[in-house]
Amino acid sequence: MEALSGLSLAVVLAALGLWVMVSRRNLVWKLLGLGVASGGSILFLVALSHRPGVRPPILGLGPGPAADPLPQALVLTAIVIRFATLALALALVILLTEHRHTQDARRLEEEE
Amino acid sequence: MNAALAGILAYFGLGFLGIVFGKGRETAVLAILAGLVSLGLWAPGFPEEVVGGPPWGIAVVGDFWALGIWGLALFLHAAALLHVWPKDQLRHALITLLVGTSLAGGISRDLFNLYVVLELSSLLSVILIAYEGRSAAVWAALRYLFLAGLGMTFYLFGLGLVYGRTGLLSLGALAKVETGDMASRIGAGFLLAGAATKTGVFLLGLWLPKAHGRAPTEVSLLLSGLVVKVGVVAMARLAEAFPLGPIVLALGILTGFGGILYALRESDLKTMLGHSTVSQLGYMLLGLGVGAGEGVLVYAVAHGLFKGLLFLCAGEAVEKSGVRSIAELSGKIPRPAALGLALGSLAIAGLPPLAGFAAKGLLGLGQPFWVKAVLYAFSLGTAASFSKLLPLFRGRGGGKFGGIAFLSAGVLALGILGLFLFPELRGLQAWGEAFFAAGLGFGTYLILRERFPPLPKLSLDRAFLAALLASVILSAFVLFI
Repeated sequence: MEALSGLSLAVVLAALGLWVMVSRRNLVWKLLGLGVASGGSILFLVALSHRPGVRPPILGLGPGPAADPLPQALVLTAIVIRFATLALALALVILLTEHRHTQDARRLEEEE
Repeated sequence: MNAALAGILAYFGLGFLGIVFGKGRETAVLAILAGLVSLGLWAPGFPEEVVGGPPWGIAVVGDFWALGIWGLALFLHAAALLHVWPKDQLRHALITLLVGTSLAGGISRDLFNLYVVLELSSLLSVILIAYEGRSAAVWAALRYLFLAGLGMTFYLFGLGLVYGRTGLLSLGALAKVETGDMASRIGAGFLLAGAATKTGVFLLGLWLPKAHGRAPTEVSLLLSGLVVKVGVVAMARLAEAFPLGPIVLALGILTGFGGILYALRESDLKTMLGHSTVSQLGYMLLGLGVGAGEGVLVYAVAHGLFKGLLFLCAGEAVEKSGVRSIAELSGKIPRPAALGLALGSLAIAGLPPLAGFAAKGLLGLGQPFWVKAVLYAFSLGTAASFSKLLPLFRGRGGGKFGGIAFLSAGVLALGILGLFLFPELRGLQAWGEAFFAAGLGFGTYLILRERFPPLPKLSLDRAFLAALLASVILSAFVLFI
């Protein structure tokens, strides 16, 4: 049940993020949407490795079956990549704001 | 396998050293040499092996895709390095890292490793596109980053679905197990949609034309010549592991015609070349869809060479003259760049004995009639869209040959090699058909020139919506095949 709610939360987060990306015109909002959506995909991977009645995959936590450690290892890499993407995108937004004095996607599109 | 890994490590290591010590040019030369040595050591290829050992290692393979990507990467890197030698050191170091990422993508056969490679190549490409800080280029780079981020979100969901069902990440192992259940099918659809968005397939990755058009010269060359091909290889490997053939075929036809329509309409030289890259992706996806893997690889390498040449010459022309539109450029292009544009256009239109002719011929070899008909329609459209470059072929004044001569030699050599190895391409019929399609394309251009209808603008919001809808529709279709 817990895993199921984790998975559905992940899907809801992704849908919310994608909706913000499509509906908002401001670039910073769009970036927030991207962050939330990719956060959803990361939560999806973590929630997948959880099965009812397993312990966290850490040595020395006692007997019993452990959760699959691989998705959690993958997720670390994915989080680092998301961080780099968001940082780079913010830097580009700052550059654009300095050059064009707007963060509105539609106006940026028109002014070319 | 160890030689290939050492080559990739050398590329990354030398790229970082170039950044740290500010010696990007010298380390780029060393990296190309290291890459050549490494390629020479593993050259005939190696079977799938697991780096780090089973069960959690990363699967790599040295098949024909890897060989083709490595050869193309090293050749294009050498051409770019030769042509922009005087530019600053940091740029050369970043280019070295980008080429190294592409080398890693060539041999990777692991879902998550492909994700890392695709993301890394997006990040480096974005930095390089926006490198000179012009606002149009920064905007194009940001659009790329947004759409690639959207695609990679889909990709991670697909990866989770497939891994959750099968417990496997190696594409070689996934090809051997049954993946017919609903979760794996939707997962495969999401994976394909993510890779297609990142590659720049029509309706999914509408960021491509502008990003390739606005990037600095040598970056456009590498993006269109190499980075797009890494995406194609990723899609090819997905199609090997999952039953995605018909979907890839449909994407190919859509991409081919969509790219041609926009290329016909576009008046900005470099953006038009970007649209043409989209349409050329159509050839490759069509080939993947009908299972002509080797033909697709030859096409990818040939396209890397002639589109690299075209972007190099177009970039040179735009940089020298300061104008971008095709109409204003005529008569302002240095002679070497004009010659290169002419050669590249003839090659992309599929005229013998250049690389485009050999590649198109090999792709159609032994295919059923309808595939050949679609390929001819693509050829016709490509010839029509490149007809408007005719006034640019007359150069004026001198300029440097450098990388232009290098890539021209590659385009000629690949074409002649193809003619030499395949007697089917030497017949009167094949040559006649190629000239006929190109002539018909030119005629179409003359008729359509004045009355071409306006097309919808590819704004960021439309690109988002198109990518979202296309991803969902694509995944839904995977359920029914």
